[in-house]
Amino acid sequence: MEDFVYFFSFQDPNVVFVVLGISFLSISAAMVGTFTFLDKKALIGDAISHAVLPGVCLAFTFTGTKNPYWIVVGAFATGALATYAISWVTEHTKLKEDTVIAAVLSVFFGVGIVFMTKLQQTGNAAISGLDHFLFGNAISIVGEDILVYGSLALLTIFTLLIFYKEFKLLIFNRDFAVSVGFPVKSLQFIFNSLMVLAVVTGIQAIGVVLMAGLLITPVAAARFWTDRLGAMLFIAVIFALVSGVAGAYISFVFPNMPTGPWVVVVLSLVAFASFSFSHKKGLITRWYAKRKYQEQIHSDHILKSLYNVLENGGKGISLMELKKDFPGKDAETERSIKRLINKAYLSSNKDFIELADAGLSEARRIIRLHRLWELYLTEYMNIAPDHVHDTAEKMEHILTPEIEAKLEAYLDFPSTDPHQSIIPRDES
Amino acid sequence: MSFDPNAFLIILTGALIAVSCGLLGVFLMLRKMAMTGDAISHAVLPGIVIAFLISGSREGFAMIIGAGLLGILATVLIEYLVARVKLQSDASIGITFTFLFAIGIILITVFANQVDLDQDCVLYGEIAYVPIDLWITTSGSNMGPRVMYLAILNLVLVVAFISLFFKELKLSTFDGQFAATMGFSTTAINYGLMGMVSYTTVSSFEAVGAILVVALLAVPPAIAYLWSKDLKKLLVLTLLIGVAVSFLGYYLAYAINSSIAGAMATVAGFFLAASIVAQRVRRVKESRGRISLSTEQQN
Amino acid sequence: MIQHTDAPVVEIHDLTVSYGQNPVLWNVDLTIPKGTLVGVLGPNGAGKSTLIRAIMGLMDFNSGYVKIFDQEVDDVRKRISYVPQRESVDWDFPSSALDIVMMGTYQRLGLFKRPGKKEKELALSCLEKVNMVPFAHRQISELSGGQQQRVFIARSLAQQADIYFMDEPFAGVDISTEKAIVNLLKEMAASGKTLVVVHHDIYSAAKYFDWLIMLNMHLVASGPTETVLTEALLRKTYGGKLSLLSDVGELIKKSSIDPLKD
Repeated sequence: MEDFVYFFSFQDPNVVFVVLGISFLSISAAMVGTFTFLDKKALIGDAISHAVLPGVCLAFTFTGTKNPYWIVVGAFATGALATYAISWVTEHTKLKEDTVIAAVLSVFFGVGIVFMTKLQQTGNAAISGLDHFLFGNAISIVGEDILVYGSLALLTIFTLLIFYKEFKLLIFNRDFAVSVGFPVKSLQFIFNSLMVLAVVTGIQAIGVVLMAGLLITPVAAARFWTDRLGAMLFIAVIFALVSGVAGAYISFVFPNMPTGPWVVVVLSLVAFASFSFSHKKGLITRWYAKRKYQEQIHSDHILKSLYNVLENGGKGISLMELKKDFPGKDAETERSIKRLINKAYLSSNKDFIELADAGLSEARRIIRLHRLWELYLTEYMNIAPDHVHDTAEKMEHILTPEIEAKLEAYLDFPSTDPHQSIIPRDES
Repeated sequence: MSFDPNAFLIILTGALIAVSCGLLGVFLMLRKMAMTGDAISHAVLPGIVIAFLISGSREGFAMIIGAGLLGILATVLIEYLVARVKLQSDASIGITFTFLFAIGIILITVFANQVDLDQDCVLYGEIAYVPIDLWITTSGSNMGPRVMYLAILNLVLVVAFISLFFKELKLSTFDGQFAATMGFSTTAINYGLMGMVSYTTVSSFEAVGAILVVALLAVPPAIAYLWSKDLKKLLVLTLLIGVAVSFLGYYLAYAINSSIAGAMATVAGFFLAASIVAQRVRRVKESRGRISLSTEQQN
Repeated sequence: MIQHTDAPVVEIHDLTVSYGQNPVLWNVDLTIPKGTLVGVLGPNGAGKSTLIRAIMGLMDFNSGYVKIFDQEVDDVRKRISYVPQRESVDWDFPSSALDIVMMGTYQRLGLFKRPGKKEKELALSCLEKVNMVPFAHRQISELSGGQQQRVFIARSLAQQADIYFMDEPFAGVDISTEKAIVNLLKEMAASGKTLVVVHHDIYSAAKYFDWLIMLNMHLVASGPTETVLTEALLRKTYGGKLSLLSDVGELIKKSSIDPLKD
């Protein structure tokens, strides 16, 4: 608890540096990642992040120190080279993009490992910091690093915002952009550079191996909450920020824990939660909606049963008789009846159930939709009358009043359905 | 140069692994699943750690089974994300492997004392130790390097898998829909292939680590694809390239005194680059030849 | 105008198919007689490919059933053949034309057997039927569109099936190849095979097929060409989507549950 307070009171300048660093990189990675995700190029970010390793090692070799300016230059150089290699090879050989990405990723990384192993043999004390570039160590971020990485992140963010409309067009409607004379190649070049920059910004805190997670996961999660680009960017950034700071905090409390993995784990959990619970597409949300829908179907069927009783001259039905219509669903039937009574669709008198006025109207509506749809299928779609019942049975629960109005209009307010049953309407 | 038995063992083990990976990699490449191979090789890490914790050692089948299961889990998770959650496939791969790999790293750190695995070596293995890590039977006889035997077993199983199911693999890779209409279970074939990739990754992990496995899965097949247009020739070529990469990689590492696994990836990359350049030069020459021919005809 | 036949080889009953949560075919009910060359017509998005894929079991359907030779499709797979659209595969695959055609023989071989001399001879004879023997050992990446299409058909012939379902076999094919293939298909129909072909052109359809199925997200017509190819029915097929069907489709697509599935 004390750790928590200490950390988040931001009294310690080191903590401030770390949180700032993580925040900057999270924001730029989430923003760039959103565009690459939508462009279906998410895994190129993975290749870039592995490809920066040789560049980082070369920078170390030439300067002998963990100088962030040189690290960034080295990382950018090999990262950009990798990006260029991927697009060139994909375009000019018969190799497919996924193979090229996997090849570039592993080869560049392998070269990086060769350099890194050599560096580790020199025994230079600063080299111990090199290890951190593999899995990340946010705690090793110091003031000078913040200057460099922070500026890079801000540069990335601003460039993205400036070219927001252009990038949007590039991704969603490239052909159109080309046809109206947009400088597509230059824009692509700028965007690729931003991708490399976003990766470079994150390597010290998250590490090259897991950086891809920071590019892909925030937007994958955000995608489940919105369809609009602007909102997606915003949500992705929030997710990335929260995970980044959480990861940094964990590294702070447990100093031997590398930051990268924890950020990725938190981010992935946020993503899985989004996949399950998001209000539109979440799996659990959909499961719940399905259950509610099935309850509604059951209620509708009960109303129809009661209407049939009326059509046959009766007034109502006993609870026991009604349950016979739905064998094996006694408990559900009782629940539905209670619900319908609450809604004043039904009235019950000592287990004798009748349709109330509102219920009668609703029953008529459902049956009307059923019979109209049957008529539509037989009249407009040439379907045999004995095949239309099942579909109509499914459709009667969801057809809206607008569609009902259209049906009536097309069919010219018919009085009977294909089976000669009357189409019930409310008496005016 | 005198015959160095250690060098021989290392190169042999490397070659065995390279061939196993390469042969499977051909099918991954043709199915456009190279990055799934990358994902599986990262995803098996937590399985390896857990198996290690349970069995107490890195020997035996516990590792292979436990980690192999995780490779299958990764495939299932990716499939689930694509089909049920309806997430696009590249993101499904990305989330799955980063998540599982991250868990693996955390486990290694938490159980650092009980697990004889080191974060860095997880990435690039310790093939140099192969000759000294010996398989001593209970009766005390020295059978030779343990990892080499694992690699031999792996290769035997990979070759058996590919030859037994060659027509199913070929058919489902070229035209999955047609295969399904013929009654072949494309799902079973896919999981079979991913299972073999998973097993191969785990079996090769100690020697070459996660990243080099990806290089061996992806690069030799890519090189072979540039030079051959026949599936059987492609497989043979991949085999030869794998052996060459192991051989030259070792000597490169020896010459510059660095990581053998990294050197192998570097050599593979060099061959790929050289092939691409050679193909390009050839194509430019051909098209120039055609132009001069047609201008000749015009005159 | 939906004509049914007794003893149909293909029976489709009340078939409703969705693409994800988007309904594309509503309540299709039709039967196909033996030995007919059937054309499936309709505008883009009418559900033609979907129908074929649903029949072959490549897609789930919401309701209804498909019976071939009065049995479940899975039980008669050895008697039916599917020719997918040409763009559905990557033609850079490292194989020759003969290799691809031989794939048609795999079904009868069983799990561990390899194709041998008998299969090779069968494959070559199928290549002969489509005039592709000179190209038997050519890499498929080097073949033209029409040649690739012919390889696909040869592969299908190698299955020695009784019913053939072909999805746009004439797309991107030159006119002489098209005529040659049509003649082959007519011969096959005359010898008792049934062929169901998704086609994109009304005018040639009139000449090629003796039975037409016209789709527009629902079955507009199914029957002998002379009776079905009328202006009224063509208008119903090509005159635009039933707007109500589109509206309902949109409604279902946006909803958080799919009412057509249980």
